[in-house]
Amino acid sequence: MKRLGAWAALAFALPCGAVAEPVVYRLDPEHSFVHFEVLHFGTSTLRGRFGVQEGLVELDRAAGRGYALVRIDTARVDTGLPAFDARLRQPDLLASDTHPQATFVASSFSFDGDKVRAVRGEFTLRGVSQGVELRALRFGCHPHPQLQREVCGGDFEGELRRADFGASFGMPFVANRVRLVLQVEGIRQ
Amino acid sequence: MHKLLAASALSLAAVLPAQASTYTIDPTHTFVTYEISHFGTSTNRGRFDRKEGTVQFDRAARTGKVEISFDLTAINTGVAPLDKHLQSADFFDTAKHPSARFVGDRFVFNGDKVAEVGGTLTMLGKSAPVTLKATQFNCYLNPLVKREVCGGDFETTVKRSQWGMTWGLNMGVQDEVRLLIQVEAIKQ
Repeated sequence: MKRLGAWAALAFALPCGAVAEPVVYRLDPEHSFVHFEVLHFGTSTLRGRFGVQEGLVELDRAAGRGYALVRIDTARVDTGLPAFDARLRQPDLLASDTHPQATFVASSFSFDGDKVRAVRGEFTLRGVSQGVELRALRFGCHPHPQLQREVCGGDFEGELRRADFGASFGMPFVANRVRLVLQVEGIRQ
Repeated sequence: MHKLLAASALSLAAVLPAQASTYTIDPTHTFVTYEISHFGTSTNRGRFDRKEGTVQFDRAARTGKVEISFDLTAINTGVAPLDKHLQSADFFDTAKHPSARFVGDRFVFNGDKVAEVGGTLTMLGKSAPVTLKATQFNCYLNPLVKREVCGGDFETTVKRSQWGMTWGLNMGVQDEVRLLIQVEAIKQ
């Protein structure tokens, strides 16, 4: 009877009787990258990439809630040009010596059915935090072929103005507007 | 009188069709990025970091020719074991075919801007036609090199099986690969 009471209390506490259990996903560094795109002399698009140093996402799809924490190591910027990477690490751009990490922390998730549609959070670069919205271009889940675990992820895009973070070297020849393109895949823990 | 002649010669030079000029690909602003779907969930990307080439370009006559080759051993996805797999016989087979080459001579213009470049892409010893569509194109005077630079962004979607690259097709790895091309070339 005691046990039954406990179960009843638990069932009462859950909204709509749904088993709303947040699921934790750890980002897979082989399929999680932050790419950036910026216009060069109004002519062509410069691209670069950051790997994800650490990424955790908690999804409660039944309740329509989520939480994300993504950390990137700014010194590991990769454009394919070592000299350009070194320039990007300087104090007037990524300032990697004084601010080795950039972070994205988000707790505002919107869903379209059970798919994540947008994530709004705070992006911190060079110690400056600004709101950034990432919109899903696609979102889905598939079973991981080796781990036999669920993998959820997708492609997201967003934009920021680098001057807002104090990274304004080279403007206006290299644009202020930076497009972010994220590949993320999280493995269910 | 001489001054007048000189001035008119100068203005003539400005309006007469220029001859084809040679441009050298700027390897620091020229990259091919590929995109391929990963289990329909997210998009895997990779980049080719070593390349060289030239462009013959005549905006007045609206003609051009581009020749560019990519060192496939410099493929870079950010995942070292994947780079290794991509260089194996399953994909690019770089031991036998270390480079890919694109020769494009069908330039389509929209006004004085390049809108499309059609040509042939050779990889794995096979050649197939490819048309690159410009999403933007521009020429500008670069203050650092003090020369005209022309370039833009191009894209196309190819089926890798056209070059015999069929690994994983039966496991759901996509045939379609989108290529995003940044290119800038400096007038010589």
